[in-house]
Amino acid sequence: MLWHKGWLETRFRLLFTLGFTTLILALQYSTRTAASPPGGKGAAVGLVMFSNPVLVLMICSLLGGAGIVTQPSLQATKGLHGSTLFTLSLPVSRLRLLAIRASIGWFEAAGVIGALCCGMWLVSPAFRAMTTPVELLEYAGTLMACASALYCVTVLLSTFLDDQWRAWGSMITSAALWWLSAHTPLPTYVDIFRAMREGSPLLTHTMPWTAMAFSLGLAAILLFAALKVVQTREY
Amino acid sequence: MTDFIIETSQLCKSFKDKAALRGLDLRVPAGSIFGFLGRNGAGKTTTIKTLMGLLRADSGGARVFGNPVADADRSVEVRRRIGFVTEDKELYPYMTVEQIIRFTRPFFPKWRDDLEQRYLQMFELPPKHKIPHLSKGMRSKLMLLLAMSRGADLLILDEPTDGLDPAAIEDVLRELVAVAASSGTTMFFSSHQLAEVDLIADHIGIIDQGKMIVAGSLDDIKARYQRLQVVFPDPAGLPARWADGVESVRQEGRVVSILASHNIDAVVEQARSIPGAVVERFPVTLKEIFLEHVRSN
Repeated sequence: MLWHKGWLETRFRLLFTLGFTTLILALQYSTRTAASPPGGKGAAVGLVMFSNPVLVLMICSLLGGAGIVTQPSLQATKGLHGSTLFTLSLPVSRLRLLAIRASIGWFEAAGVIGALCCGMWLVSPAFRAMTTPVELLEYAGTLMACASALYCVTVLLSTFLDDQWRAWGSMITSAALWWLSAHTPLPTYVDIFRAMREGSPLLTHTMPWTAMAFSLGLAAILLFAALKVVQTREY
Repeated sequence: MTDFIIETSQLCKSFKDKAALRGLDLRVPAGSIFGFLGRNGAGKTTTIKTLMGLLRADSGGARVFGNPVADADRSVEVRRRIGFVTEDKELYPYMTVEQIIRFTRPFFPKWRDDLEQRYLQMFELPPKHKIPHLSKGMRSKLMLLLAMSRGADLLILDEPTDGLDPAAIEDVLRELVAVAASSGTTMFFSSHQLAEVDLIADHIGIIDQGKMIVAGSLDDIKARYQRLQVVFPDPAGLPARWADGVESVRQEGRVVSILASHNIDAVVEQARSIPGAVVERFPVTLKEIFLEHVRSN
């Protein structure tokens, strides 16, 4: 039943995120068909390389959820929604509440990333010509794994930030992490932003396993921190 | 030996600099209907939230069914045995009445389908209506349905009749008594409506400024307290100091009204010793006891 509750809370956000992603795809497509990019196929992939990580960041921020507090369908709430007390009166541990809510958001984010990759394949002949279906699958897997850390930043922020600040907070935090990764001598094998761009399987034709593992490890640490916050928080 | 379903000892809780509970001692006997009274801000909701594990006490202890409320693992099992009505009666805004019933039911193995159907009809709740479209009274009724159908051993109700019309209050109070009588459910409810508490509670606790100032069986408390009315001819004859047991003294002209909590015979004797005084004894209402204590505290 908690899964169903989570779905009811997130379905309009998911729809909004899908719509937004479709719009970006359509813009990419119309830009390329209106004026053939001077760089040809390489420029098409370059555009994708730049825009997709930004999109992934936004997807994670939008679908990250509100921790264990009630999240009305689309509008962000200020303060604690009163029905959160009803949820917390149920015989369910806070660990389970958080885990289910975080899982729902992650599956939705992964779904949107999958849809984004399929959409690129369908709408862009240049992209289709440069990649095989296997490489596309590897690229989608890389994005999902690397997105996990960004997603868990949102989950952690949601445990102590008001819903109205959560999405902005996670976008700003993730953008700051991106900036840091670009301006600090971070080893390339742990740079998750690089793994989504120039280090992605689309360009290197190899999976960035270490960056993916680093992202998943970081996600686990952030999730653990979120759980600790939730367990000690008062409502 | 009396079993206590809820027990707190020296419970303290502060929010920043403001102390909400200052050493609260509370004992709710098994099977009782316990009315928890207090002014706004006295600490009722803080106590209830602490018992439900939503707030953590700064010091002192609280146990429900013998389990410490701070123990997160045990609190899941404890909550399976509790029906809870929150103060603000907020439920999920994206669900309908039948959806939230369907959502809540599986969490409680002892869910009472018969009571669910009975309250759906009695409270005239529209199953297809979304919760934001319900009035506050209807939301209160829905919360009561969700709490009372759980087959709980303990009902914790924070202002359960808030927003209800007088006829609905009557129905709800009758049902609460029926549930307590038929299944031995312990009921712990806070209310500002002293008449309601007087009607159904067998035990009461009055909290003020985070401390319990009166607690016990309602019958015992009422039997213990008496109001004495003393009519006297000459104010000069009034004693400067009344006997032990006098809680308050109010004088209007040649009439003195005395509220005594114990040692009543000695107080009566003292009043009768005033030359020409006429003394009458009256039983007191819960409202009088409540007002007297919170004013004098």
